[in-house]
Amino acid sequence: MADTSIPLKINGLYKSFNDTPVLKGLSLDARKGDVITLIGASGSGKSTFLRCMNLLEMPDQGDIVVHGDPIKFKFDKHGRQPSDWKQVERIRSKLSMVFQNFNLWPHMTLLENVIEAPIHVLGQPKDKARANGLSLLERVGLAERASYYPTQLSGGQQQRGAIARALAMDPEVMLFDEPTSALDPELVGDVLEVMRELADEGRTMVVVTHEMDFARDVSNHVMFLHQGVIEEQGAPEQVLSHPKSERLKQFLSPRY
Amino acid sequence: MEQLSTLWQPLLDWMNGNDIFTPNTFAMYWTGLTNTVQLVFISLLIGLVLAVPLAIARGSRNQVLRKSIWFYTYLFRGTPLLIQLYLAYYGFAFIPGIQETWLWFFLDDPLYPALLAFTLNTAAYTTEIFHGSIQATPRGEIEAARAYGMSKAKMMRRIVLPSALRRALPAYGNEVIFMLHASAIAFVVSITDLTGAAYYIYARFYAPFAAFLFVAALYMVLSFSIQALFKYLEKRLLAHLKPAR
Amino acid sequence: MLDLHGYGYRLLEGGLLTLELAILSLILAVVLGLVTASAKLSSSIVIRAIAKAYTLVIRGVPDLVLMMLLFYGGQIGINMATDWLYYEFDVDIFVNVDAFVAGVITIGIIFGAYMSETFRGAFMAVDGGLLEAARAYGMRPWTVFRRIRFPLMMRHALPGLSNNWMVLLKTTALVSIIGLSDMVKVAAEATKATHEPFLFMIPVALGYLAISSVSEWCFMKLKARYDVGFGAEGASWNN
Repeated sequence: MADTSIPLKINGLYKSFNDTPVLKGLSLDARKGDVITLIGASGSGKSTFLRCMNLLEMPDQGDIVVHGDPIKFKFDKHGRQPSDWKQVERIRSKLSMVFQNFNLWPHMTLLENVIEAPIHVLGQPKDKARANGLSLLERVGLAERASYYPTQLSGGQQQRGAIARALAMDPEVMLFDEPTSALDPELVGDVLEVMRELADEGRTMVVVTHEMDFARDVSNHVMFLHQGVIEEQGAPEQVLSHPKSERLKQFLSPRY
Repeated sequence: MEQLSTLWQPLLDWMNGNDIFTPNTFAMYWTGLTNTVQLVFISLLIGLVLAVPLAIARGSRNQVLRKSIWFYTYLFRGTPLLIQLYLAYYGFAFIPGIQETWLWFFLDDPLYPALLAFTLNTAAYTTEIFHGSIQATPRGEIEAARAYGMSKAKMMRRIVLPSALRRALPAYGNEVIFMLHASAIAFVVSITDLTGAAYYIYARFYAPFAAFLFVAALYMVLSFSIQALFKYLEKRLLAHLKPAR
Repeated sequence: MLDLHGYGYRLLEGGLLTLELAILSLILAVVLGLVTASAKLSSSIVIRAIAKAYTLVIRGVPDLVLMMLLFYGGQIGINMATDWLYYEFDVDIFVNVDAFVAGVITIGIIFGAYMSETFRGAFMAVDGGLLEAARAYGMRPWTVFRRIRFPLMMRHALPGLSNNWMVLLKTTALVSIIGLSDMVKVAAEATKATHEPFLFMIPVALGYLAISSVSEWCFMKLKARYDVGFGAEGASWNN
């Protein structure tokens, strides 16, 4: 039996789009409390890697193990498919994702967004979900915006709301897909601040980002991806301050 | 009581003073109005109920299901409603021996064949409207639902349909008005709808302007009330779906 | 072979009448639509109000009611006018309102209103700078319209135009109610005479489907023609 104390373990992930390989054998171990940042140029495969972790993209090869529970696959005419979608849904509910474009559901208020999955996926009672949702919105500084619709909020507020929505699932691991890339520069700080607090309280996080300061100060492990391969990884001070590979040096040079 | 009759008296005098707008013809128009409203409302209601599952199945992975629903909407949207009405009306009536069966109880009244044709017609249009807006659901909304572990059915019910049906409101409002106008053909199968009442009064008094202008005005009032209702619904349900920028 | 009880030839004639009616109404509708669209963009508030009232009335009243008003009312209206001419000026003329003409005029007027919405949107979608460029080279207003504005606008108008045409085609079936022998009328008569509704209604339905399929093909060709220079997919507006 696999180690059940490791929230998320990825082994040998391969993925191609129309015969173009984009991920070539990637592995990752997220231990409890780890904050792992994935960096790399656009097209390096970092977002695809993240989206494979909760099967928004279907990997062609490789294992995904959540708390010792490996996702089961089968082969049919559509290629490699999960053999048990119930298991996938269960695992997805333990890995909350925060998206680049927030993806709040526009027909629901902020609070309704936050309590939607806890009620309809986890089966929480309504009043418990509501109370919890309100306190989470309070935490991200949006308590008085609970009854607003997403389009009535700024990008930064939407993203903080989306983080509250992710937290409401009480996830084992939080997946962040470039959470600040769609924001105006002056709104980035508030979102990063919330993420920093989450890291401080010991949340397990995997973060795809372009924010090098965040990677340096908050994460405990940095992975540099290049053309679908992990070119270099390790502790942030080692990887970011003393890069070994030429490509990483180039990536970190000021013109980027 | 006294006051009431002084209010009514000029109207009654006027009604007695002309041939065309009399209590009798108003009773006729009233019958026409109730028939039109009944016909349109019932067919829209059943059509709506049918269209939701049809629109979902129209986007299904199952080829046979998808294609047969496409074929149904293609047929009903590609041919005039008048032909569909004739087929429903004569198609059953001329089946040999049908007049002896219990079915004749329904078929004897032209209202039922008309309801059948109208319902199938509006269901076809509505299916395509809903299918279009389901297909147009932004990817991100669906991805977020998947990422949070929703099953396909739950995602359809909680995320896709609520936002797709809202976005379909303006197009569906047009369909409702279209159906109201299209129902004017009901009188060719001897249903006294609004248009039928006007035609009768035109033929009886040879007064086309009084008859047709009057029902035209009634249809206009109905159409604009429906339009106002949908504008209100859009304001209530759709305002927050539009991007702010 | 299909036995149409001798109605085959009359059905074909009816189909031809449907086509003639549809095409003539379309021409009238396009002309009215262009005029009304221009009126809606006019700087005169009176002209704008008239154009607006026209589309408002058409959107509020069923096609069939308008058609009967024009057909049955038109005859009486014209009779009254000719009577007046006769008594006042001793001019004796007789005008018979023809069901075909009434059909073309009503359908033209109805779809003129819908077309005006399509054309208005298309006019506004044309980049004003392109028209300015034409004027800067000394083109006269009519030349600007014919050579620059119209071809550019058509690209935006085509989807709406195609949609309106398909609806118009089906609307022509209503003329059978005011007594015109289009294919629906012939099929209805044949049905009543022979008690075989499917035998006659289904070929007519297929006739409509055939006409719309051919038109769809034509519109595809037209779209390719007006999309020239806007990228192979013509999808630049899509983004």
